[in-house]
Amino acid sequence: MNILPVNNPTPQIISDQSDHHSITQTDQNFSDFIKSTISEVNQSQTEGDLSIQKLHSGEAQNLHDVMISVEQADISLRMLVQIRNKAIQAYEEIMRMQI
Amino acid sequence: MDIFSTFKVGASALKAHKTRLDTISSNLANVETTSTPEGGPYKKKSVYFESKPLDFKGHMDAVTKNSVQGVEVTKIVEDNSPPRKVYNPSHPDAGDDGYVDMPNISVLKEMVDMMSATRSYQANVTSIQSAKRMAMKALEIGR
Repeated sequence: MNILPVNNPTPQIISDQSDHHSITQTDQNFSDFIKSTISEVNQSQTEGDLSIQKLHSGEAQNLHDVMISVEQADISLRMLVQIRNKAIQAYEEIMRMQI
Repeated sequence: MDIFSTFKVGASALKAHKTRLDTISSNLANVETTSTPEGGPYKKKSVYFESKPLDFKGHMDAVTKNSVQGVEVTKIVEDNSPPRKVYNPSHPDAGDDGYVDMPNISVLKEMVDMMSATRSYQANVTSIQSAKRMAMKALEIGR
């Protein structure tokens, strides 16, 4: 009986899943994607706010954790703004189309 | 999002090096302490670093393939080298021969350790800043 070594099981699993993966990804709606991104960004903003609140109330253990969560919120928001810009750009492009 | 893994690694390192600085400041504060609740002079403390996976997913990744690892201070160890002996018969903790057991701490070494800890902290802050700059540059692609 052939026994596979345990140390390298992933490549086979990944290659098996890759076909199904491309099918499931296409039926995700763009608006669903936007909604989930907005909720993620909102969550990171809330986390940033909460960590600042904790810093002010003396509950925070480390200053850097507060700074990092604020930075994460900042980057996430900038990412969302970029996605919005791209979406609006595409919309305007379509509206400008000659019929 | 995966860009935040640098942040997580950096945050764990910042925490670890802050703990290191805490122990160094504790050593410097107790450089003349001859009496402790356990008895005997204060003993030099140093941190013990250990690498750790970032989260559960990182733990699973670490089993299957090489992944990035954070760092953690798992314990603070005491240096059990013999105490420094100073002749001072008038000291309350002096022995019968007039010598006092002082902590086995060298202020010089502690200062050098402190500089090293500060530099490590700065290096990790720089790596976090680099990660941020990279993310910002990636967002500029869309402009």
